[in-house]
Amino acid sequence: MGGLQKKKFERGSATNYITRNRARKKLQLSLPDFRRLCILKGIYPHEPKHKKKVNKGSTAPRTFYLLKDIRFLLHEPIVGKFREYKIFVRKLKKAYGKTEWSAVERLRENKPTYKLDHIIKERYPTFIDALRDIDDALCMCFLFSTFARTGKCHVQTIQLCRRLTVEWMNYVIASRSLRKVFLSIKGIYYQAEVMGQLITWVVPYQFSHDHPVDVDYRVMATFTELYTTLLGFVSFRLYSSLNLVYPPKLDSNGESEPKEESEDDYAMNSESYLEKLSALSASLARVVSSADEEEAQLDQFPSEGEDMEKMEAREKELKQQEAQKKLFEGLKFYLNREVPRESLAFVIRCFGGQVSWDKSVCIGSTYDVTDETITHQIIDRPSVGKQYINRYYIQPQWLYDCVNAKILLPVEDYFLGVTLPPHLSPFVEEKEGDYVPPEKLKMMALQRGEKPGNEQEEDEEEEEEEGEQEEEQEEDDNGDEEDDEEEVAEEKNLKKMEEQRSQGKSLHVKVTPGKLKVENKARLEQEEKAEEKRLAIMMMKKKEKYLYDKIMFGKKRKVREANKLAAKRKAHDDSEKAKKKKARK
Amino acid sequence: MILTFENLSSNMAAARRLKRVAISQPGFLTLNPKVTPTDLVSSRRKRVNKNKKKNWNKYSDVQDVEEFLEDLVNLKFCFLCEEAAEPVKGKKRKGKSSRPLRIDLILQHDSLVAPPKDVLAYQKPNAKKLRRTAERAEKLAANGVVPRSKKRLLNRTVVDRMSKKTETEANNNPERDFYDIWGQETKDLGEPWYLQQTRKKLVKRPEKLNEKPSVLPAVEVIAPGGSYNPDFFSHQELLREAHEVELKKKKVEDKLERQLAYNKADTATEETILREQVEGLVEESEEEEEKDAPKEDGEEVAVGAIAVADKKTERQRKREKAEKMKEQQRLTERRQTEQQQQLFQLRSIKTSIKQQEETTQIRQKRRKAKEEAQKAQPRRLGKLKFQPQDMEVQLSDELAGSLRQLKPEGSVLMDRFKSLQKRNLIEPRERAKFKRRLKVKYVEKRAFKEIS
Repeated sequence: MGGLQKKKFERGSATNYITRNRARKKLQLSLPDFRRLCILKGIYPHEPKHKKKVNKGSTAPRTFYLLKDIRFLLHEPIVGKFREYKIFVRKLKKAYGKTEWSAVERLRENKPTYKLDHIIKERYPTFIDALRDIDDALCMCFLFSTFARTGKCHVQTIQLCRRLTVEWMNYVIASRSLRKVFLSIKGIYYQAEVMGQLITWVVPYQFSHDHPVDVDYRVMATFTELYTTLLGFVSFRLYSSLNLVYPPKLDSNGESEPKEESEDDYAMNSESYLEKLSALSASLARVVSSADEEEAQLDQFPSEGEDMEKMEAREKELKQQEAQKKLFEGLKFYLNREVPRESLAFVIRCFGGQVSWDKSVCIGSTYDVTDETITHQIIDRPSVGKQYINRYYIQPQWLYDCVNAKILLPVEDYFLGVTLPPHLSPFVEEKEGDYVPPEKLKMMALQRGEKPGNEQEEDEEEEEEEGEQEEEQEEDDNGDEEDDEEEVAEEKNLKKMEEQRSQGKSLHVKVTPGKLKVENKARLEQEEKAEEKRLAIMMMKKKEKYLYDKIMFGKKRKVREANKLAAKRKAHDDSEKAKKKKARK
Repeated sequence: MILTFENLSSNMAAARRLKRVAISQPGFLTLNPKVTPTDLVSSRRKRVNKNKKKNWNKYSDVQDVEEFLEDLVNLKFCFLCEEAAEPVKGKKRKGKSSRPLRIDLILQHDSLVAPPKDVLAYQKPNAKKLRRTAERAEKLAANGVVPRSKKRLLNRTVVDRMSKKTETEANNNPERDFYDIWGQETKDLGEPWYLQQTRKKLVKRPEKLNEKPSVLPAVEVIAPGGSYNPDFFSHQELLREAHEVELKKKKVEDKLERQLAYNKADTATEETILREQVEGLVEESEEEEEKDAPKEDGEEVAVGAIAVADKKTERQRKREKAEKMKEQQRLTERRQTEQQQQLFQLRSIKTSIKQQEETTQIRQKRRKAKEEAQKAQPRRLGKLKFQPQDMEVQLSDELAGSLRQLKPEGSVLMDRFKSLQKRNLIEPRERAKFKRRLKVKYVEKRAFKEIS
């Protein structure tokens, strides 16, 4: 037998992977530094397909990286900075140990720092790439900005996160790009559409400081370090795209200028500007003070057939969006002190409303409670002392529901002390045949422009509506049946005539005045379509037919389930109503 | 006394001249004209032992030294302000001191020929050029043109200050400024080879690294039942899901408990305890005999197996070889006939191939579907498996009626952390346990001991 004996694990997947410890040694970094570097550079561990081969015969669970990735890391200039920092810490420790305070000071002054700009540019070569990955960054920044300024992470990081989140919120307000809001038990989910990208982020409720112990804060802080840099550059770009000044400045000649009275006792001079910005009540200054933005109109292209339909649909959607953007325009809100101010102010301002609050709650309030022009007062307590007659006192959920419904919902359901309708998730998209809760059905009806009756009869109406829908369905079915019956009758007549003819009897012919047969064009068309469909089904191959039956069966099952749920809901509602009635009596 | 004077005066560089004068004279000379040296020497001498320190302090006359020091100060003052000491010096320079020192005389130039003039002291090698450049510079300065060297100097200082500042600015500085990182084109500073070798150009990032390790979205929105004021049915749905998760956990726990449970029949009863105590004391000879019997048989069998076989004879070997050859021939023939027969089986072979292909296709499809499903799954990246977080659920009676009364459930921080793990960005890890190097020793202090 010729040739050298092949050695094991010298080619193939064993040479493509490297264990974490070996990678660490190759880079001459400590484990925390290595982990940090990997996070910053976006290099993640891999699970090899054949672990035993890669692990050189051992089956011990290990973390593997691709060797090429680690080789790429060798070129990173930040690695050198990490080593420098290590030396810096050692020197500092030594100086402390020797109580050489001047040396400590000197070392502190020359503390090695690094920048992540080049990494951002490298990981996100274009702006859109960065925008696609902004979800994580937003979540992290919003999360860190709510942290208490204790030892969990650097105070500077928290401040930077706060600044960036405020900038982001101001951008969303200025561009009116908020689409959905969902109040969950965990936090508030927002969705905005920025440059055609749907961006979702979650904001924790304020003051819910519950630091879980089994979270690695160091890892989270590293991610935040990267994401703050990313978010900063993204917001710079976004601001410049809207002709806004960056870092943001408040519009000095805006119509709603915050009062300057209680500034001094609210915050320190250095902080008050950010606080004023974060109040979200004033608009931002622009580089070119534009009078009115030109509304971008969709370009019209001559098109045919399907394209036309698509275009129309798109236009309709755009119109709807435009309408949604101006949802709260012309309305004046006043927030009571018990409602979440920041979230509400953000939502109201995103849709063009004016907002204010008590000046002891936060800086930047624009008008008082006594203002006669206030249209809505947001309130979340069982009763109020003094009520003004020309404004609605409503609960905060109204705002969020309006945003999700894209219309102004009737305020009656959200009055003071009224049991609120459920807050539905706007992130659920029902497919055909799914169970849709009645509240959503009602909302959809409202969107279509149908108007419900008065508030007292509302419940009954709702039922009626449901009933009507059911009836309609039934009617449709009945109609079909009737048609069939007619046809059957005609056929019978014809048969009779034929029989008579065959028997040789002379038909006694009579001319009767003809009935005008009303031809329903739409109906005919429908019938034709149905006929075509039936024929198509008949012509199907066995295989296709099997598949088709399966699909249809699935659909029917879904409908059945949805009906069951609806019936259950009705039963539930009925029982609730009965209870209420009993309680009233 | 002279010694002290010398010491003192040597400290004063300014009073060097005076020192020379003083040494050249026989007696002690003070600068004060009123006091003469004769006054200092008293006529009546008192005999005192000079080997006692006590006597030194008592009888030695220090006034003259003090006076001299005072004079010295005066003199210095005079030197500094003006040549006020001139008349004093003039008086003393009456005799030999007016002559020049001998050393100076030796060093004096005594040749009659005048020394040649140092030309270089008056001439510059390129004076003309220098003069012209100076003139030109003046002219340019008058026009407001800054020379290049000066400009460079100015530039350098500015750049240095800037770079220092940027260096010290930390990454998380809340006032840091951002710029348009995607808008500006990086200008090429030179040859690519040079840039690469001097590490001025970063290595290109492989495209593969920009792929995300998971298809899951960054933010997974909670189910509609997780609303703070949920719809009845979606809430029930969420509760059911949470219930199922809990059931699964319970099942695992129960299984573990079952496996760890001991057999109830194995517990010690009085009877078993007694038997244990009596073990070996009561004779059980019959059973032993029975047990022994099969053992012996086994041994015999084992011995038989080891027995060596006899050697084969030549004939036997030849026959075996022939048989082997025959067998091989038979097999080859058979193979040939089979191959010939396959010609007539073409149809069935075709169908079988078709079947095989179909099965492989089905398998491929299945595998692909599995891979797709795997993409959304968290991978095994380390020692630990990914553990999904507990579902956030509020029971029906925990639900708040209004936003004000809402009690947030779960934590966003945990959610984010688990999301990162789920998307394979970081490997699941356990927190490092704190290990105590030295054992803790508990001692009751005396004060407490008395009480307890």
